[in-house]
Amino acid sequence: MRTAYRVLAYIIAAEVVIQAMAMVYAVAGLGKWIEDGGVLDKAVMDSDTTPFDEVVGFAIHGINGMMVIPLLALVFLIVSFFARIRGGVKWAGLVLLLVVLQIVLGISGHSVPFLGALHGLNALLLFSAAVYAARRERTITGTPTAVGEHRVPTTA
Amino acid sequence: MRRSANWRSLRERGHPGRRVRLRLVVACVATAAVAGPLLWYWQASRLPSTYAVTDHGYADAGGATHNQAAHAHVGHSGRSVDALTADPARPPDVALTLTARQERFALASGRKVRGYTLNGQSPGPVIRATAGQLVQVTLINESVPDGVALHWHGVDVPNAADGVAGVTQDAVGLGRTHTYRFVVDPGTYWYHSHQVSHAQVVGGMLGALVVSPDPADTLALVHVYDGIRTVNGQEGDVRVPAAPGQRVRVRIVNTDNGRMSAWVSGAPFTLVAIDGTDVHGPTEVRDVAVPVTAGARADLSISMPADGGGVRVHLGGSAALLLGAGAPAVPKPAAELDPLGYGTPAALAFDPERADRRFEYDIGRRPGFLDGKPGLWWSINGHLYPDVPMFTVAEGDVVRMRIANHSGEAHPMHLHGHHALVLSRDGRSATGSPWWVDSLDVGNGESYDIAFVADNPGIWMDHCHNLPHAGEGLTAHLMYEGVTTPYTVGGRAGNEPE
Repeated sequence: MRTAYRVLAYIIAAEVVIQAMAMVYAVAGLGKWIEDGGVLDKAVMDSDTTPFDEVVGFAIHGINGMMVIPLLALVFLIVSFFARIRGGVKWAGLVLLLVVLQIVLGISGHSVPFLGALHGLNALLLFSAAVYAARRERTITGTPTAVGEHRVPTTA
Repeated sequence: MRRSANWRSLRERGHPGRRVRLRLVVACVATAAVAGPLLWYWQASRLPSTYAVTDHGYADAGGATHNQAAHAHVGHSGRSVDALTADPARPPDVALTLTARQERFALASGRKVRGYTLNGQSPGPVIRATAGQLVQVTLINESVPDGVALHWHGVDVPNAADGVAGVTQDAVGLGRTHTYRFVVDPGTYWYHSHQVSHAQVVGGMLGALVVSPDPADTLALVHVYDGIRTVNGQEGDVRVPAAPGQRVRVRIVNTDNGRMSAWVSGAPFTLVAIDGTDVHGPTEVRDVAVPVTAGARADLSISMPADGGGVRVHLGGSAALLLGAGAPAVPKPAAELDPLGYGTPAALAFDPERADRRFEYDIGRRPGFLDGKPGLWWSINGHLYPDVPMFTVAEGDVVRMRIANHSGEAHPMHLHGHHALVLSRDGRSATGSPWWVDSLDVGNGESYDIAFVADNPGIWMDHCHNLPHAGEGLTAHLMYEGVTTPYTVGGRAGNEPE
């Protein structure tokens, strides 16, 4: 379960990286397409067509962000219940919270673009939290009776 | 956190085996607490494979008093939508056959696309008629595996001819036919599939219906095929001959999922009709953009300059009609024509202040499950499809509806079978011509008050015409008391209106 915890945390961090890459890939493709004479308006945006190949980046970002990552974060939290890592539940909970916040910011960014900027900031927080959770497990390898157990809990 | 403190004290005091067991129990309980509600909501949201739209959601009588509702109910003994037809004895004035195919075909521009055709072409044939004529269309499905159904967008047809698979008919399966009969009023309309509509309409199962005595009117049916915006199937600049001084009426049809702006360079213009209804006392304008909602129509009247100069009608970002010699492209004007204050007021045939029913159609967005699929879905009055209101009316009622949108995106709302009068937007009353719509763009943060007379019995969809949105739950129905439907969503015909 500890391995599962660590692996899931790293997968979530990697997913954040994929999200950033997919977005820039799509936006770069869009820019190039417009440079080449393509015209974007609401009708094209709302049609289910692929006027340029890189549009797949938007699809990946959407599916990953709305389905895959929330599911991973949920499984991560459940795994944390069994993983017996000190503070593990707390960090998994934080990751899930940041994922929820990330979706809210991403969706709200469509109507309030500044929230889109916070979506970018929150991505880095989420990445950091996931990596921290993963590495934290590695540093505390002791059994429940290890010395570290008697320190003041790091909970807030 | 208190729990970790408890664990610590357990560890210090308890027996190791018991401690492990306890911890496992706590973990299982926590898992159940997280996953349980999700599973329950997931299970509860799943739709049966076959259901009648009238069996879902909850009836909303719009505040009609108990007496009224009861009285109206007694008056009918259950009319089927099948019985709500045009006079079956009357011979048609305009009769044609439309054969639907799923295929790879060439647009008028020559570009090859994969999609849907009617009589081998997309857009389908332009149906022309004059006011009061009875139009009869026989639809044949030659090769569309999912089935087809044709909806007459903006025409207040009798309910049996509304063409909504699963509500007013079964989808027309391979090799089958269906006949639509309805009497038309003057105006610009269009027709499109209402079976798997989000795919079939995008793919080109559509065409224009023009009711006008003047065959010289210019049609501008705009549709995006494969990411390319076209006008009557042509790409880029489409030339239309026009003589100096001639008056040209351009009938714009927006068949796409999003709002489009139209603007004119080279001459002033008037907006003479919206959604098939003439504007009263329209004034000449220039340097303004006309918003054309998804599914909506706008008729522009343009006087060609006497000096032989040409005119360009911009249709969205990339398509344009060039009248006569044409004119150079100009950026979209910042100012928009607002129909709320355009034209001059006129007397109404009904009093919107004396409404029999008042409905709220409140559009939001929230996380949840739609037929077992997790996501952020559109909500109506706080509920997700199918737990949505069934707006119930009696024939003859004056109905008011407030459509408010705080979902983060605009929604082009389309009410079948009726035209509604826009009374106000965000509390600001209409001051111009009576503004009649069948497709109304309700922007994020906006609210509209509309009113209409319930004069066309049946079961009518009242949905978002950004068709993927309709499939994502932004669909409700207007139901007349005592009207029933024998059709179901799903079932053997595979009805899937969205």
